[in-house]
Amino acid sequence: MSFLLPHLGEFAWGIAFTIGLVVLGWLGAMILGSVLAIMRVSPIRAARIAAAAYILVFRNIPIPVQMVLFVFGFPLLGIVFPLFPSAVIVLIAYHASFVCETLRSGLNTVAAGELEAIRTLGFTPFGTMRHLVLPQAFAAVVQPMGNVLILLVKNTSVAAIVGVAELTFTADKVAIEEVQAFIVLGGAALAYVVICIVLKRFVSLLERRVAFSK
Amino acid sequence: MSTTTLFEEPGPRARRRNRALEVASWLIAAGAAYLVIRTLNKSGAFDAAAWQPFAQWGVWKQLGLGLLNNLRAAVVGMLLSMFFGCFLGWGLLSKRKIVRNPCRVFTDIFNGVPILLLLFFISLVLPSWGLPLSDFWFLVIALSLYSSAVVGDLVRAGVLALPRGESEAAAALGFSEIQSMWLILLPQALRLMSPALVSQMVIVFKGTTLAFVLGGYFDLLRSATVLGAYYSRSLLQAQVIAAIAFMLINIVLSQIASAIDRKEKQRYGAQPVALDELDTNRAATLLAR
Repeated sequence: MSFLLPHLGEFAWGIAFTIGLVVLGWLGAMILGSVLAIMRVSPIRAARIAAAAYILVFRNIPIPVQMVLFVFGFPLLGIVFPLFPSAVIVLIAYHASFVCETLRSGLNTVAAGELEAIRTLGFTPFGTMRHLVLPQAFAAVVQPMGNVLILLVKNTSVAAIVGVAELTFTADKVAIEEVQAFIVLGGAALAYVVICIVLKRFVSLLERRVAFSK
Repeated sequence: MSTTTLFEEPGPRARRRNRALEVASWLIAAGAAYLVIRTLNKSGAFDAAAWQPFAQWGVWKQLGLGLLNNLRAAVVGMLLSMFFGCFLGWGLLSKRKIVRNPCRVFTDIFNGVPILLLLFFISLVLPSWGLPLSDFWFLVIALSLYSSAVVGDLVRAGVLALPRGESEAAAALGFSEIQSMWLILLPQALRLMSPALVSQMVIVFKGTTLAFVLGGYFDLLRSATVLGAYYSRSLLQAQVIAAIAFMLINIVLSQIASAIDRKEKQRYGAQPVALDELDTNRAATLLAR
């Protein structure tokens, strides 16, 4: 295993980049996805159409294509970002559509009768959201959101295509340099598996807690 | 729009406000469109010179062959993963721990590893084991390893979703365990899961674009990029055409999935079927409970 020692720093950076991509991508996707979900259920037709079009486009173009297009194609238009921010932007753009669809399915879980009842009780639209719709929507959405998060963790590896030195990229580079593909790439794979299993456990814990509050 | 119950039928004042907001958002959308078109125009994306190469038949042929390569890898990968996924689902349902646990470990591992890492792993490790396959097979193997883990979970969930009476009746009629699985449970489970399988096809198809990193397999994304290397002014155009082609195919596949879903629901009443990348996992967990 001594061949790994000179590369420890690289691996630390690789893991740091992966975590950075996950954290920033998740925050951005949550924000953009929530905005899209609000647009999608709003009474304004233009907003609904815009959000639906966004989802149709960004969800159906594979993320490697988006990544390559953004990093190699868009500079021709004068839109140039450094590598890491562009990877974050693409991750946000792709996963926001999934976040939006998930949130929307959560909003749909609220029964029409409950909405009618709360309106009869004289709640304002904001109060309805705050006390009835959002609590139920969030509770219904914990598990699917966890799946979006795991999808995001796995898709951060796509940033390796354009040369962001995250875990997959670093592992591939070291594996080729040291001709030790099995150990190095297997170790990186194990790291992803562990992250995914830990996240899954965490999500099901959270879901159990939310389920009791329902 | 199914969520209109979220807001009340607007009164006269709200209607006026909504109309104003509507006009404002159309104006914003128009402004954004104008900005995009201006940026595109300024960098010459609409110039005749940039679109010149697309007047040649050969260029379209190259792009079409790329797309065909994507589809070929996706279809072969999907068929393989359905084949192995059935066995895997069967193993996951086994009463014997010695069969069940390895299957569980297999699905957990290949569900958690990014396909790209899997692709790197396979393309480096298999040749060192004396299996110098072509890049096509590297891609197909990586995709089907991942996808059979998902299909395995789906098959398991599908069989568990069937009424207990099915397997009990089979046992009462003297079917062996293998016969009951093969002749009675599996066909029904596959039918129940057919929308999810089509959605899985979308995921596999999206995954084929990762062939970009292999270099030896000309998928559509790679063809478009190579085209851009020959006609340096048309790189963006070629890539956008590729993106639109992927998008259209995925939309068609998703439509097929939801059409099958609707039909099955009409036939059987509401069934727990999964519809997309996320729902496959969720349905599996829901049904597994």
